[in-house]
Amino acid sequence: MAETRSASSPQGPGVFTRKSSGLVRVMSPRSAIIYNILTMGIIFPWTFVWAPTAFQGSNLVIGLIIAFVFELPLALSYAWLASALPRSGGDYVFQSRTFGGGFGFTVVFGLFVVWILQWVALSGWLMAVLGIAPLMFGLSATTGVAGFATVGAWASGSTGIIIISLANALLSMILLISGFKNYVRFQIVIFISVLLAFAIMLVLFFTSNPQTFTTHINSFAATTAGIKDFMGSATAAAAHAGVNVTPPATFFGTLMVAPIAWTSLQWATYSVEQGSEVKNAHSFKNQVVILAGSLIAVTVLLILLALGLQHGVGQKGIMVASSGYWLGVGEATLNGTLLMPNLLAIVLTSSTVLVVLIGLGYMLNSFQIVCNCFIGTTRILVAQALDGLLPSWFAQVSPRWKTPVNAHVAYFIASIPVIFAYNLVSDWSTRWALGVTFANGLTLTLSGLAAALLPIRNRAIYEASPGSRYNLARFPLVTLLGGLGFIFGMFMVISFLVVKGLGLAFNPDDPTSYLLVIGSVVFALVVYLLMRWHRSRGGVNVSHAFSEIPPE
Amino acid sequence: MRLLKRGTGSGEVTKIFYATDLHGSEVTWRKFVNAARFYEVDALVCGGDLMGKVVVPIVRRANGRREADFQGRLTTFDDDAEVASLTSRLATLGQYWYECDEDEYQHIKGDEAEIERLFTRLAKERLGRWVELAEERLAGTHIRCFLGGGNDDTDDVLAVLDQVSKDRVVACEGRLVELNDRHTMVSLGYSTPTPWKTPREASDPELAVMIGELMTKVEDPSRCIFNFHVPPLDSTLDTCLQLDESVWPPTPIIRAGQPVEFGAGSGAVRDAIDEHQPLIGLHGHIHESRGSARYGHSQAVNPGSEYGEGVLRGVIVSLRDDKVLGTQFTSG
Repeated sequence: MAETRSASSPQGPGVFTRKSSGLVRVMSPRSAIIYNILTMGIIFPWTFVWAPTAFQGSNLVIGLIIAFVFELPLALSYAWLASALPRSGGDYVFQSRTFGGGFGFTVVFGLFVVWILQWVALSGWLMAVLGIAPLMFGLSATTGVAGFATVGAWASGSTGIIIISLANALLSMILLISGFKNYVRFQIVIFISVLLAFAIMLVLFFTSNPQTFTTHINSFAATTAGIKDFMGSATAAAAHAGVNVTPPATFFGTLMVAPIAWTSLQWATYSVEQGSEVKNAHSFKNQVVILAGSLIAVTVLLILLALGLQHGVGQKGIMVASSGYWLGVGEATLNGTLLMPNLLAIVLTSSTVLVVLIGLGYMLNSFQIVCNCFIGTTRILVAQALDGLLPSWFAQVSPRWKTPVNAHVAYFIASIPVIFAYNLVSDWSTRWALGVTFANGLTLTLSGLAAALLPIRNRAIYEASPGSRYNLARFPLVTLLGGLGFIFGMFMVISFLVVKGLGLAFNPDDPTSYLLVIGSVVFALVVYLLMRWHRSRGGVNVSHAFSEIPPE
Repeated sequence: MRLLKRGTGSGEVTKIFYATDLHGSEVTWRKFVNAARFYEVDALVCGGDLMGKVVVPIVRRANGRREADFQGRLTTFDDDAEVASLTSRLATLGQYWYECDEDEYQHIKGDEAEIERLFTRLAKERLGRWVELAEERLAGTHIRCFLGGGNDDTDDVLAVLDQVSKDRVVACEGRLVELNDRHTMVSLGYSTPTPWKTPREASDPELAVMIGELMTKVEDPSRCIFNFHVPPLDSTLDTCLQLDESVWPPTPIIRAGQPVEFGAGSGAVRDAIDEHQPLIGLHGHIHESRGSARYGHSQAVNPGSEYGEGVLRGVIVSLRDDKVLGTQFTSG
């Protein structure tokens, strides 16, 4: 049997590489880890405002750990995919190569591209409800200017959210059309701002306690919304709505925190690094470090936030805040503005500077989220158009801007009705908000299955990749990890479909959410079949975009 | 630039399959040759960069075992079957191998000229076998295989194309060739300067001169294919990582957590397409920039390359007279 050991052995032969090799030094994983952390949305609030009352008795910290454990094998399996296919670019190619072009297109177009439109709407909602509204309320409280509170209330109302969401998406489209490098220049500001905001929040929470918080929020509510004894009335209203502010612990509830936390953690795989074509052990290890490193970092940050909230706001405060979101308890809001974690932190400070820094960080991360939506989906649209599965128009590049303008414009236009629906259709921004976590999660889970099958379905590719040497009891490790990731991922996907508290199944008499899911898949399948037929009339066989030519 | 739309014409349709940057990968070469029947095309065109980049010495030890470095890890082999498994993987990756004893390895190791000679010998052998395979598999068909060079290929190795080709394979580097009685093709494998000082680089003004000389032979650019290895500048077919060349090997420049990208193509190629409005521009060089761009009536394409994975990226181009009926990107 062939034995292997590190090539640093001084007695072993090396390789001869041409100077004109195109070899590039492997990038430090540090930068990619930082980028991945921000992509994973440390500002996403749902773990903290959904889980507590949807699953009373749930333990957020343990739930986050469970989510990490569930996501880790899936994320690691992506390291094999990314190092085996370093130039391919993502789930569409991973799945097309393993399951066929029709499958890859239908899943990625129907469950990813279409559903990310909801993320465009969500990011606008985040910008308004987590960014602008708390900032305005904070400024009102710290400066005494009532007008800020008026703006804050407007920003968190349907009209304000819609206008802000449209502007958010439009600005993102314009920035990205003007050139990706312009976005990258702007991103350093986002980096610093988000991490600073998060750090300030943690400090505020860990230097506070529930009694201090109650005093502060009562004062805050009186100043900004004219409400006296806010916590007293909010707690009573929450109790009336069925909230037990000191619920007994439940394992099932804690387990169900995991699918909600997946909203953040599933994006560990979003930006697998484009690898070098001269594959070696470093490139594979780098991918592992990036994926696992960013996943660990975000999990730790979210756990710190959960602990901070428990320390500084207290269990009662957390339950009250959650009731305003999940149960729609109006008294648990400030003039309709939800008590998101950053607003709870703003409540604890009288510093205008800190209020601005927190608000700015959240606004900028919300903007980054919508940019990530455009970046990821337009690349897929271009790839699918080049494969002949979408009209060529999508892949056209502007001679002036050197970017696929058409794909960006199309995606912005498609997001407009979704933005309206998200904010006007009852239940969409609350009960169905995690539909996108479900749909995207299913896409990523199927890529985990593709990873598990890589040694079987794409043997030559697998054996030429650096990950092929890692086995467990003669079993390819990627098959074990991908299989485990698939099982855990499907657990969460199925949970979304059947557990009432996760939203899609909330109203058993209303099949709308299921119809949306099925509809998006059917829509994608229809597009695939139509394009396949249309191309065949022009003598083009679209399966050539995926079918492997036999080498012998 | 043409102001009038080209006519649809009434002639026969010609289909060509274009792939590029195979870099020594045996699997992708075999797929390339088989693509002719698989895609039912009339001609195969390869855009250059045929040479591999790495030689893996397989060293025989005194104890009879053999050792080699595979992807940064030292591997010891007990028998021929294990070595065959290694060489199969190397073949997919486009790497060469060379079995030798310890003394020979040590002799070559410190001598750059010897290493270069070894590369040349192995590359010539492999390219020669490739041409023979293409001649064998295309024999008796009307399909011809046009092979150009790229910036990574040396003139010495490319000379094999003329030496070994007989009937079906046509060496087209630096020449005007007739694809059929309706279409011609000019090929140029040089690129703009790269951080690696590859064998065939030239500045844009020099490229413009080379292109100009080729164009003096072209009677009708509207029926001529530009098989230019380097893509047009800032076309998005040439987008790649910007590198810090002050270190070796060069390292990607990172800003705000993202590698910086730029267009590494040729302004001379872009100007030539703008001016002459060829039938189509076929390009490679930047493996990760699969795409299509338009310059007036002319389209430029880069199918990208995934040679290291044994995946043959290509594009099927359908032509009729002076019109491109359609392009289809493939992944085989």
